[in-house]
Order: sequence, then C-alpha cells, then structure tokens
Amino acid sequence: MVRATVTPDSGDASQAPVSQNDQPTDRGSPPPRLRQGLSERALGRLFVSPSILLMALVALFPVIWAFVLSLQLYNRRQPQGFGGFQNYLEALTMPRFWDSIQFTFLFTVTSVTAEFVIGMGFALLMNQSFRGRGVTRAAILVPWVIPTVVAAQMWFFMFNITPGFINNLLGLENFNWLGQRGWATFAVVFADVWKTAPFVALLLLAGLQTIPGDVYESARVDGAGPFARFWHITLPLLRPAILVALLFRTVEALRVYDLPQVMTRGAFDTESLSMLVQQYVVRTPDPGFGAALSTLTFVLILGIGLIFVRLLGRDLVIGTEGSRR
Amino acid sequence: MTSTTADPVRPKATRSLDLKSRRAARRRDAAQLWGKTALLGVILLWCLFPFFWLIMTSLKQGDRALNSPNLFQGPFGFQNYLAVFQQNFHLNLRNSFVVAGTTTILCVVIGTLCAYAIARLPMKGKVLLLSGVLAVSLFPPVALVPPLYELWRSLGLLNTWEGLYIPYTAFTLPLTVFILTAFFSSIPRDLEEAAKIDGATPFQAFFKIVLPLASPGVFAAAIIIFVQAWNEFLLASTFAPRHPEIAQTVPVAIAYFTGAVEYQRPIGTITAACVVVTIPMIIMALIFQKRIVSGLIAGSVKG
Repeated sequence: MVRATVTPDSGDASQAPVSQNDQPTDRGSPPPRLRQGLSERALGRLFVSPSILLMALVALFPVIWAFVLSLQLYNRRQPQGFGGFQNYLEALTMPRFWDSIQFTFLFTVTSVTAEFVIGMGFALLMNQSFRGRGVTRAAILVPWVIPTVVAAQMWFFMFNITPGFINNLLGLENFNWLGQRGWATFAVVFADVWKTAPFVALLLLAGLQTIPGDVYESARVDGAGPFARFWHITLPLLRPAILVALLFRTVEALRVYDLPQVMTRGAFDTESLSMLVQQYVVRTPDPGFGAALSTLTFVLILGIGLIFVRLLGRDLVIGTEGSRR
Repeated sequence: MTSTTADPVRPKATRSLDLKSRRAARRRDAAQLWGKTALLGVILLWCLFPFFWLIMTSLKQGDRALNSPNLFQGPFGFQNYLAVFQQNFHLNLRNSFVVAGTTTILCVVIGTLCAYAIARLPMKGKVLLLSGVLAVSLFPPVALVPPLYELWRSLGLLNTWEGLYIPYTAFTLPLTVFILTAFFSSIPRDLEEAAKIDGATPFQAFFKIVLPLASPGVFAAAIIIFVQAWNEFLLASTFAPRHPEIAQTVPVAIAYFTGAVEYQRPIGTITAACVVVTIPMIIMALIFQKRIVSGLIAGSVKG
C-alpha cells in the first residue's frame, strides 16, 4: 500500500491545469461526457468521500458519543444528570471488570501463542512439495469459513459431559471440562486455536513462498542443519508476514465474544471484556455505565493495536504488500 | 512444470556406479514421503474431523443415540433437519442472506472507489486516510454497541436489516480497502495512460479499463466480506436478538436455540442447523479457494 502512496503520478501534466479551479465542485452530478471529464483530483475526492463519510458516521461518531454518554448517570435508562467520571470510577473498582480483563488477556496470550506454533508447523509442512498438497490447502479453509458460533456449539458438545465425545476419546469418565475454572478457559482457547491456527498457517505459508529456494540450498551446502536453517533463514525472512499476522490476530483475540458467550455464557471466569460491555447494554441496561466500560475497552484495545503498529512501523504496510507474490 | 518432466539422461557407466547409493536415497525418500503424508493426515484430520462429527451427530435420532459418545450409534435419519425448519430457520437464512448480501454490495461499491483513489489518483492526505482506515480496522466492535444501541433505539433501527448491514459495512470497509488497494496497485499503469492518450476521461479510464481488470480482486474481496458478514454474532445478537420473521440472523439462532427443557441445549437441532449453514459455505470455500486465499493475503487480514 505504501508503494501505492509513494508513487502518485505527480508527473502527469494533464491533471495539473484542470484540477483546482475548473470543476472540482460538481460532486453529485454524474460524470459528464466531455473529453476532459472530471479531473483526477476531483474524481479522487468524489471516490473517497463515501468511505470517509460512512466510517466517520458509523465508527468515529459513536465512539465519541459513547464518551459523552459515559459521563451521564442513568437509572434503568432514566437519565439522572451529569456524573463526571463517576461511571469510570465505578467500573475501575469493580472486581468483575478486572476478572474480565484477566480472562481476555489470558485468552489472547495463550490462544495467539498456540496458533502461531501450530500454524507455523502446518505452514512449514505445506510448503514442502508432495502429493495431496492441493487437498490440504482446500481443507485448511474449512475452519476459517465456518461461523464462529457453529465452531463454538460444536466444541461445546464435544467437551460436554453428554454426549461426552472427548471424555470417551481420552478415556475419562465424567470429566466436566466446561463446568470448572481453568478447564473452561482451556476449552474456549482450544476451540479458538482449532478455528484460527489453519488461518495463521495460510498467512505464514504465503510468506514462506516468497523465500527463494536457493537461499536454503546454499545454507545446506554450508552445512546448516534443518533447525539452523529455520532459525537463521526462515524466521528472519518471514518477519514481516509474522508481524502482520500477529497484529491482526492479537487485536482479534482481544475482542473475543462469540466463543465464550456460546460455550460457557461467561461462567467459570470466562467472561471477556466484550461480553461484559454487552451485558450492560441489553440485559442490565445502563447506557452510561455500559458506555464507560466500552470506552475503556476501546482505549485498551486500540491502544494495544497502535503500540503494535508503532513497533512495526512501515514493516506493517510494506509487509502487506511484500507478501503478495 | 519443468521439474517434473526431466529425468536426466546419463551415461551408463556412472549409472551403475552410484546404483547402491541411489537405492538407499530412494528408500530414505520413500520414508520421508510416508512421514510427510502422515503429517498431512494430521492437518486434514484437524480441519475436517470435527465437521464429520457434526454431520454424524446431526443425523442421529432419539435421545439414546444423541447422548451416546459413539459416533456410529444409530438410529439415523433426517428428523433433526425437519425440527430445524419447524423453528423458522429458513427465515433466519433469509435474514442472513439479505444482510450479508447488502453488506457485500455496499462494501464492494464504496470500497472499490476508495481503493482506486488511494492506489491511483493524486490526492492530498493519503497517508492520513490510510492511517484512519487502519485505525478503524483496529476498532473493537463492542465499542459501538452501547452508543449504536441507543441511537438505533431512537431511530427505530433495532430489529431491522438496516440496523445490521450499516455497521457491518462500516466495519468491513477497511478490510475491503486493503484488499482492493493491493489489487489495483498490481495492475500495470500503462493501460490507463494509453486510454487517457486516446482521450478517455479519468472516470472512463477507471470504469472501462481498470475495473474489468480488477474484477478477480473485487470478487475475492466480495467473498471474504460475505463470509465475515454472514458469521458476525456480537452486533447481530445485540441489535436483533429475537424474531426470525424480522431480522434475527443465522448465528444468533444457532447460539440461542432452545429445547423442550430450559437450560438444556437441543444437540440434534443445533448440529443439524450447523450443518445446514456450513455445507454451502464449505462448498463456496472449495470452489473459490484460490481467490479467497489471494484476497486474504492481500488484505492480510483478520479472520
């Protein structure tokens, strides 16, 4: 993408004289059939404006409005006046809030780590040439395309005591995976890893395929073993692909809602931040408090995302481009 | 192509010389091939076995079969599927189809224009715009739940299709823009230049020359948008939690199917509904596999 921005056709003479003065204002009208038509600059502004408008109205404005709401006090949807930062104080002193933060972070760290380890294994395997590769590449899309809710119900029933499929497989009698602290979290993480590890593998595989084979060949000639080759060639060259996948996976995992909501309904310390916020919107409606929680969540997740972007710098955007063939 | 066809022709003398070592190498290769194939089986099992479990369970009939951990405990039949459609699941399918379809169309139209402008047209503040798009892609959707819920309540958009596809479009737009910007950038610039020399306006150059060339990318983006909108659960369960006849979507229905006894999930109905939703998605994924993968990598991307 950066490549696209760095090379705008500033050298194009035809747009320069027309652009600013002649007809930049006729935004709403259909493109005229004149030879010159809309200038490129006007066309650019016209093309970009619906996107900006939509994102500003449906994403940016609600976030600002949530902050305004969060300063109001409510009693069952009845406004009780301005409350300053009282809602935030209440949220930050609520143990349930910290419990949900703890679960969300635990979930994110464990599931993203496991996904990358397993995904890397899958990708390295699929990068070798042998029969059945095409089938595997098709199969690997299956967990991605399945709705998360379906995956959640599926793993709920597999872990559940009845019919007890996993207990039967492991020779356990009536082990209650979903009904106790710790193992409930494990089950949720497991379901997420099942769904997302193949997806991570797909992204890493794309990165692997950009590494030229002769690099490995010369390393082998120099006497590097498989592990050394992985550590000194694959990992460094895969860095952009890994970082981009890591950023998006982390931000995704921090938003987790579907899996714990369906598998445990938040019981046994598996309530995520997203679930907590949703709770205060519909089931125990308190728009002010809910908005305070959502603003805190927003700042936290966007903040972590932006720290990532900062750390990656241009790697991120160039990496996206570079991994494309 | 070239690697598979060539079997190097060598003089007979050298061939007999290294026959022994070649035989050993072949044995090692065979072992490696078996090892790789076994590992491949692990991947296939990982991806496909749960789905096999799902299908088997959905076909079971009666409590005894459904509560048995044995996959092959019969009797089997289509009773669960009938039960699913008695619960108005076809209306859920309709809602999901309309919402995901509208999201896809809106996103593709708006996103294509924006991506083309970013990739090709001269513009001030491109970096700022891209940063904004990236920031929106990092937004947690739950941040919108309280304010949009209040807003939709006052606008009467709760339990409507519009109430769902409007935020979906806004949220999927960044992804669309990323994917399509990458595709537009990969199209050679000379074609537009030639069109412009021939007297085409900038809009004509876009609409008649570049857009047709970018259609594989647009198609890839469309599939990915559709899948994401089809699978969305948080906003759907908040803004349209009930009433399949109005706007309740498929994931919400699957999450909250209730059985005869409260607090007991009807495993037969749920697994049958899951299969109904999943089979078309899987077929789509298999048919358009290459396009989806290229799109996902171009957008590189959330799952």
